[in-house]
Amino acid sequence: MSRREPAWRVLAVEFNAAVEEEKGAGEKAASYLLSPLGARMSRVLVAGTLTPAEPVGRPEGAPFLRARLADPTGTVSVTAGSFQPRAMALLRAHAEPGLALVVGRVNLFRGRDGNAYVSVRAEGLRSLRVEAYRAQLAETLRHTLDRIDLVRRLAAAPSETDAAIVADGVPAAWVRAARASKLRYPAVDATRFRTPLTSVVAALGPTTPPARPEPSRGSVRITRSPPPAPAAARSAAEQAEASAFLDVIDGLAEGSIDGYADLRDAVRAAAGRGVTAERAEELLNFLEEDGVLEEPIVGKLRRA
Amino acid sequence: MMPENPPTDPASEVRLKDLRATDGGIALIARVVSVARREITRKTDGGRRTLLSGLLSDGTASVRFTWWDPPPEGIERGTVVRVANAKVREFRGRLEVTFDWKSRVAEGSALELPTMSSEDLPLRPVASLRPRDEGLRVEARVVRVGEKNVTVGDERRVVHEGVLGDASGVLAFSSWTDFRMKAGEALRISGGYVGSFRGRPQLVLDERAQVERISGTNLPPSDALANSPPRSLAEVEASGGGVDVCVEGLVVGLSPPSGIVYRCPTCRRQTQQGLCRLHGRVDGEADLRARLVLDDGTGSATIQAGRADAEALGGHTLEEWLEKLRSQPDASRVEEELFERTFGERLRVRGDASVDDFGVSVYPTKIERAAAATSPDVGELGHRLLKVLP
Repeated sequence: MSRREPAWRVLAVEFNAAVEEEKGAGEKAASYLLSPLGARMSRVLVAGTLTPAEPVGRPEGAPFLRARLADPTGTVSVTAGSFQPRAMALLRAHAEPGLALVVGRVNLFRGRDGNAYVSVRAEGLRSLRVEAYRAQLAETLRHTLDRIDLVRRLAAAPSETDAAIVADGVPAAWVRAARASKLRYPAVDATRFRTPLTSVVAALGPTTPPARPEPSRGSVRITRSPPPAPAAARSAAEQAEASAFLDVIDGLAEGSIDGYADLRDAVRAAAGRGVTAERAEELLNFLEEDGVLEEPIVGKLRRA
Repeated sequence: MMPENPPTDPASEVRLKDLRATDGGIALIARVVSVARREITRKTDGGRRTLLSGLLSDGTASVRFTWWDPPPEGIERGTVVRVANAKVREFRGRLEVTFDWKSRVAEGSALELPTMSSEDLPLRPVASLRPRDEGLRVEARVVRVGEKNVTVGDERRVVHEGVLGDASGVLAFSSWTDFRMKAGEALRISGGYVGSFRGRPQLVLDERAQVERISGTNLPPSDALANSPPRSLAEVEASGGGVDVCVEGLVVGLSPPSGIVYRCPTCRRQTQQGLCRLHGRVDGEADLRARLVLDDGTGSATIQAGRADAEALGGHTLEEWLEKLRSQPDASRVEEELFERTFGERLRVRGDASVDDFGVSVYPTKIERAAAATSPDVGELGHRLLKVLP
């Protein structure tokens, strides 16, 4: 019988440092995101300053929203799609930047470059008063420290049995998580988390104002204007080519039902404009590198 | 080789808690707690063989037994048996004793059973007790106790039920004998065993149990036991639940059925499409409930909140909700609004917890909003950080 996955209390810095995934086998198996500090997350609880959500990557009004949640250690991406109507309504209702807690499922997207992008697919959110936010931050910090403690304990005494650790009041699921994390991050240096964690303690101080939201870097506005100027190293000819290629993508995305441009259609259409398939692939790569295009589903392109 | 003359010296009888799987025969004395007769058909020749199997207990532990080719009159539950040359073997991770043609079984007397003086039994914290434990001693204070009339077969009996606790936690107990317990008393209890009720451990005291009053100066006072601090949900789940459990966490969801439900006026069962499972088509009475998913980061539990709690948490009485539905007939709005009102709320819940395939359920006696106003102990957290990441 599958039990409900608990919501791991994590700070942005730990969440964003998690790049290893554990795929469950069999039907309906959950997959987990493993953090270097011993969290094995399918569901998380994060708290911080939440910016208003913005629609992402599809025509205006199409259902996909992204917001950013900033705590003293960094920023977490919070999303909701049309399969989460409740979460979308809640994100829409959160019109002003303000303190909030978000519970949601963990989503990991690995880009073409191999980089992992983690986000929280919201299930619910609640606006917080400063005191409730501080209490939540303190709980999250306490759990984080408990887990670091556990990871270090395992490193110091690898042969210690689970039963002995559980007898000290550590949840069995945490021991399992810490062991899995230890395997995936054998050389983790927990001390690099000292500075961000110290900033959490500072933020808990009674006089410190809550964390400011980071400028919404990476969030996306739909625009049909030409792409932002690529890196200076690229020639004008390349830019023109890229621009033409983007026009092709935009045209295809506009005409498609799901708002994505199909990769094969794009390459075919580009060939009609004298761009070889090989060149199209190159253009695609640097447009993705520049963050102009993304391919969230293999073979499906859209403006990032 | 078996010894020719099996030992009969009482000193060589093995206490059940000291059993080890061995090749040779052992002697034991124990009471038959339960027994059933079975017949086994041999596959090779179709021959039939009778056996008795059941549970033996000598107050130190209980073990299953198998008695091959028993006398035709069998044996009655409650009989004390003295056995020489029994065999011990391990079956599915537990020890069992077997009596065969080499064994000698005779009736013994209850007086021959090991006398369990309290000092011989290990003192156990009540939080460590698990179903099937026995041969133990606890020192605990009675938190509450009450009488209940039950029918066992066609006999009416009084069972004394309640809760007792020590510094480690609290535990339900039920006693078939009137030990004249009173709330607040400190007791030394020896010779009981741990049963399980709705999946949670319960200390059972039968006529063999001994109860003494003690000064109890080292036990927490009654009000501290009745207001125990929160436990982690992982711990509650691992211990199989319990009575008077306190947990604290955030509401992270609402499970169906929540909101307005209709109940059979006769049996209070929830109706499905106007039908009661027992009473057929009925005019259901409206009720309000909320199955809150509480999460503390170590695990989660379903809080089965009834009408009063659901009204307090949702901000409207049942009548107000029904009035709302008359103008806007969409029952799912009640559930939705309950979700929005409760999501992310930090609650402290006290009640009886049980654990099944779906996880932990808590039947609340008290739900309160946990105080978030108290600012966290920043100094302590700073120290922890320095200790963990020097």
